Amino acid sequence: MDMLVFAGASVVKIAVVMVTVLLTVAVLTLAERKVLSWMQDRMGPMEVGPYGILQPIADGIKLFFKEDIIPSGANWLLFSLAPIISLIPAFIGFAVVPYGPNVEVELYGVTIKPFIITDINIGILYVLAFTSIGAYGVILGGWASNNKYSLLGGLRAAAQVISYELNVGLAIIGVIILSGSLSMVTIAEKQAGGILNWNIIGMGHGLGIWWWIPVTQVIGFVVYFIASVAETNRLPFDLPEADSELVAGWMTEYSGMRFAFFFMAEYANMILVSCIASVLFLGGYHAPYPGTLLPGILGYFEGIAWFTVKVYGFLFLFFWIRATLPRLRYDQLMRFGWKVLLPLALANIVITSIAVYFLR
Amino acid sequence: MAVADLVKTFTFYEILVGMKATITVFIQRIILRNRKAITLQYPHEKRDLPGTYRGMIALLKYDDGTEKCVGCDLCEAACPSRVITVISAEVEGEPMKRYAREYSMDMTRCLFCGLCVDACPVDALAMTKEFAWARYNKRDLRLDKPQLLALGDRNFPEREKKLEFQHPNVAYFNIGHKNLPSKAS
Repeated sequence: MDMLVFAGASVVKIAVVMVTVLLTVAVLTLAERKVLSWMQDRMGPMEVGPYGILQPIADGIKLFFKEDIIPSGANWLLFSLAPIISLIPAFIGFAVVPYGPNVEVELYGVTIKPFIITDINIGILYVLAFTSIGAYGVILGGWASNNKYSLLGGLRAAAQVISYELNVGLAIIGVIILSGSLSMVTIAEKQAGGILNWNIIGMGHGLGIWWWIPVTQVIGFVVYFIASVAETNRLPFDLPEADSELVAGWMTEYSGMRFAFFFMAEYANMILVSCIASVLFLGGYHAPYPGTLLPGILGYFEGIAWFTVKVYGFLFLFFWIRATLPRLRYDQLMRFGWKVLLPLALANIVITSIAVYFLR
Repeated sequence: MAVADLVKTFTFYEILVGMKATITVFIQRIILRNRKAITLQYPHEKRDLPGTYRGMIALLKYDDGTEKCVGCDLCEAACPSRVITVISAEVEGEPMKRYAREYSMDMTRCLFCGLCVDACPVDALAMTKEFAWARYNKRDLRLDKPQLLALGDRNFPEREKKLEFQHPNVAYFNIGHKNLPSKAS
């Protein structure tokens, strides 16, 4: 019975998160086009519904009924598998994100954490591991299409993901050193008490009035954000897709629902990266002021609201950067990843660990 | 100077300048609402075309409903793409007067240079502002005389007056006058 209640509660939580993520993906497809057009003096979608707000539904229906083409020279198995390999890791990372306060609720004698699906003690490693698997979808999709543009896109994706996955991993080590934990829930909890205690400022780790300066995670945050933009293959790092050079890169031969899977995976990855950035660096569900304004249970939802605001802020930043910057050249991308971001991330680790070792 | 450049590099100064430009436009569009999109919702709203716009070519009529064209073939001679085919014939019972028995334009080849309009001695040709002439069958773009006259009727409702002193049997060559009717906007 206890197991049943626990499983039921987990399924409900998973369903809520999945539906929210899928809805956000649908909203993002429209929001991206609208925000880009507003920044570029255009109008964006205007035809479907008032001001084009029904465009995601129209897109979904169109993709669902489109012919599903497998090129005759393609490797059938890998070609079908690649979108799924891409999509599942993008969704699976949401299991460890704390969406709200780490509170426990008693339900039929079982303690349940309503705002956290699971609290794995290696949560952040789990996310990194699965996002790396997601890159296989891109690479296999590019190879299995039997198309030179797809293959080039896949190869670029492989190189880019290896280069920037490293920077993502190294950028968050500073946060892990400060929090002393790999669990996303613990990392979020340690940043309670206002904006100054968030890891991007870093005053919340008991290092005295002035000694928080060396452990500030601004560099870590910047490196993480740039590397995560590159990892989600967004502009200015969209070399695997590169419309103007490679048709559509690794997605060239895909159509219908398989294409929709890749599309959803890209947006889900964006949401996941934004969630992780807000949990690791911007205090997750914590408000910029100490405590909560609303009392009791409403305070929990205030936390969720702050988390949502942060995530959407990051997503807006993704669009903003896309509207502003042109694509990097391939050698610039590699040089930037290995010669700029990697030393910065390593320096951040060294400074943070020395500061923590001597000051704590 | 080198220090300033270094600071600019490390603070992503140039990127921030670019991002300021985009967010300024965004705020003007969405929050201040003092900026409009430069694009138009094309099928619903159309831009104003200039009066000299060179669109589809039309044949014109005089105000009494007679065709202006005298079948002189000068447009066919002027056309660089051999769009125009004129078969000229005598008007029955008026041996001095000619007209175009058949007049067709293959608009798939037309480059809208306007040389035929300039060449016409009686201002029988004019360029309209019509441009949305996509067709599923390219043979539909081979326009015959009734279609060209219909184009003229549709776009130039004000017809030119047939001059009084013009002898019915003599074409009035008004070269250098260029008194084409104004286009409907």
